[in-house]
Amino acid sequence: MTGGGWLCLLAPLAGTILILLGGSWLPRIAAAWIATTSVFVAFGGAVWAFLGVHGAQQNVSLGSFPAFPGRGEITTAWTWLQSGHFNVGLQLVVDPLSTMMMLIVSGVGGLIVLYSIGYMDGDDEERRYFAYIAFFVFSMLLLVEGGNLLMLLVGWGLVGLSSYLLIGFWHERPSAVRAAKKAFVMNAFGDATMALAFFILIAHTNSLSFGVLDAHLSSTQANLVALGLLGGAVAKSAQIPLQTWLPDAMEGPTPVSALIHAATMVTAGVYLIARTHAIFEQARTIELIAAGTGALTLLVAGLIALVQTDIKRVIAYSTMSQIGYMFLGVGVGGYANGMFHLMTHAFFKALLFMAAGLAIHALAGEQDIRNMRGLGRVMPFTKWCFLAGALALVGVPPFAGFFSKDPIIASTLNIGWYGYIFYACGIAGAFLTGLYTFRLWFLVFPGEPSPFVREHYHDHHGREGAWTMLVPVGVLGVLATVGGWIQWPPLWEPITHWLAPVAPTLPVAEVSSTQEYATSAVTVIVGIAGIALAWAIYSARRLTVPAAPFWRRLFENKFYFDWLYDRIFYTPSAWVATGLRREFEEPVVLQTGTDLGDATLETGGLVRRIQTGLLRTYVLFLAAGAAGVVLAFLIAK
Amino acid sequence: MLGPDVAWYLAVAAVLFGIGALGVLIRRNTLIVLLSLELMLNSGNLALIALSRHWHNGAGQIFALAVMAVAASEVCVGLGLVVALNRRQLSLDVDTLSELRG
Repeated sequence: MTGGGWLCLLAPLAGTILILLGGSWLPRIAAAWIATTSVFVAFGGAVWAFLGVHGAQQNVSLGSFPAFPGRGEITTAWTWLQSGHFNVGLQLVVDPLSTMMMLIVSGVGGLIVLYSIGYMDGDDEERRYFAYIAFFVFSMLLLVEGGNLLMLLVGWGLVGLSSYLLIGFWHERPSAVRAAKKAFVMNAFGDATMALAFFILIAHTNSLSFGVLDAHLSSTQANLVALGLLGGAVAKSAQIPLQTWLPDAMEGPTPVSALIHAATMVTAGVYLIARTHAIFEQARTIELIAAGTGALTLLVAGLIALVQTDIKRVIAYSTMSQIGYMFLGVGVGGYANGMFHLMTHAFFKALLFMAAGLAIHALAGEQDIRNMRGLGRVMPFTKWCFLAGALALVGVPPFAGFFSKDPIIASTLNIGWYGYIFYACGIAGAFLTGLYTFRLWFLVFPGEPSPFVREHYHDHHGREGAWTMLVPVGVLGVLATVGGWIQWPPLWEPITHWLAPVAPTLPVAEVSSTQEYATSAVTVIVGIAGIALAWAIYSARRLTVPAAPFWRRLFENKFYFDWLYDRIFYTPSAWVATGLRREFEEPVVLQTGTDLGDATLETGGLVRRIQTGLLRTYVLFLAAGAAGVVLAFLIAK
Repeated sequence: MLGPDVAWYLAVAAVLFGIGALGVLIRRNTLIVLLSLELMLNSGNLALIALSRHWHNGAGQIFALAVMAVAASEVCVGLGLVVALNRRQLSLDVDTLSELRG
């Protein structure tokens, strides 16, 4: 069981190292397959670990294995860090929560890496790409498998690093480099607040194991720790107010976007809250702030998505919005709901990105949806797979999102008056999801191909893409359709039971069957209403988009968050830096250097006179010096 | 103890050292300069051994051996330079070899 955990973690790392050692000696295609194989081996390890935990849980329920509480196992390789009584081991945790994340990360991640083989074919630096992407998967696995908070933070930081490397993969594009830096800086902010939270924990409990989260802290301490963790989660999961890096991250190659949005990275915040739920339950206010952040983000992101024209950015905002749902789910205490939505979201979001990637690839890099009309005629496979993903995203039964989104919205009903606000946000978000998703769909796929599509479309040997690209899209198309059937709330909830030993749903987040059914009905009706509106505006053209210049400007400028951060952070620091250069660097730092050089030259000019080049002068100096020393001794005596 | 007093030895050594030093300062031929240097080193040896005997202490003799090793190395380098100068058909006059002036 723990062997599976180690295999899962180390396989992608081994792949990265192999590719790096191989260098240019390794054929490009070999690098691609090493990365793919390593991630699929990791998936094998995850399955192994899953079967181990599953078997152990079975034994618990039979009562034959009472020593094992069904909460998984922590394995320590060696003591990594020791300082006095503070002791951190190189630990992995293999329990229901981490195995679920391992399966998602390595499974969906493996499909995405396989897809990259076709997508990145012919790029100049394929080997570097595959080394990075295997490293990205490794970092995320370290994050979800880390057996104590410090290991989790190490994975957290490495995920930030590898996302930086991959977003800026096309480093000759200034916009990509800017986007990479932005992502890194915003993530570093979250890393810092997490580190501060850990310092508080170390100061008061002298430990960073997951067990200390159950320890009783004073309410101020618990609030501060939870706030620090929430800062990290918000930064990594691109929630308001640290969301602005995510759309810019679309500068990376499309499979990287799929990986960031579906399998790795942005889901880390949800995992973190589920993993450290004990501390959040001690600081219930902060947990509700997390839920509120999610509710706000899902609305804001949905509104911005309405006016985006770049196919990848629409999907990016939909990710922000869906992560908002997950935050809402874990924030009110329904950890299993959030994790289940994380899983189905991984399926359909990876599917949407990779289908969009097929379109972008076939249209020679075009990403503007206004040029793509009628693409479905030439790319039927992409069209149907995208439709499956879109329906899953909106939550139309029987697609995956239907099963996972509704329990989240329903779970807000019993928590108090603010629950109704969350509920309204969730329902409004469902409407927006239907609208923006099918705006994208109706603009891109149905109808007669536009002149642009006719001119630029090129197939790949008679197919819509290389087989390495079509197979993952097909597999995820199936998963996005049936992947939600694993849990039919409230009738059959294996995932909730699976996670119950580690992250049990809070009683307030439990809802009655009536509430559940009613919410499902409302959500589906609202989602379909969104689809209908999109159809009326963008396909049948019976309605026109209302001309609301204020709102349009607000959405197109992404609620002015970028503008605001520019004014608050960038402009003052740039002003200070310019002032420092003018007042300090140029007159003081640079001038000191010149002065020192001049002084050295002058002194040298004086001393050089003694260097006559004549041997006898030197000997004379030597003899005179020696005589002087002897004389000095004699006098001293 | 046989032989003259230690002062005599030291006097001879001082005279030898003076001759060597004068040779280094005055002569212009590189070979003679090297020769004079050897003279100075050996005057030092003479003084060391004389005093070693005077004080009944072997350290001075060991010092003299070390000085011989240094002298041998110095001759290697010095003669090597002379040969190199000769190969390049340069003058052996030390006063003309003054390119390294500041």
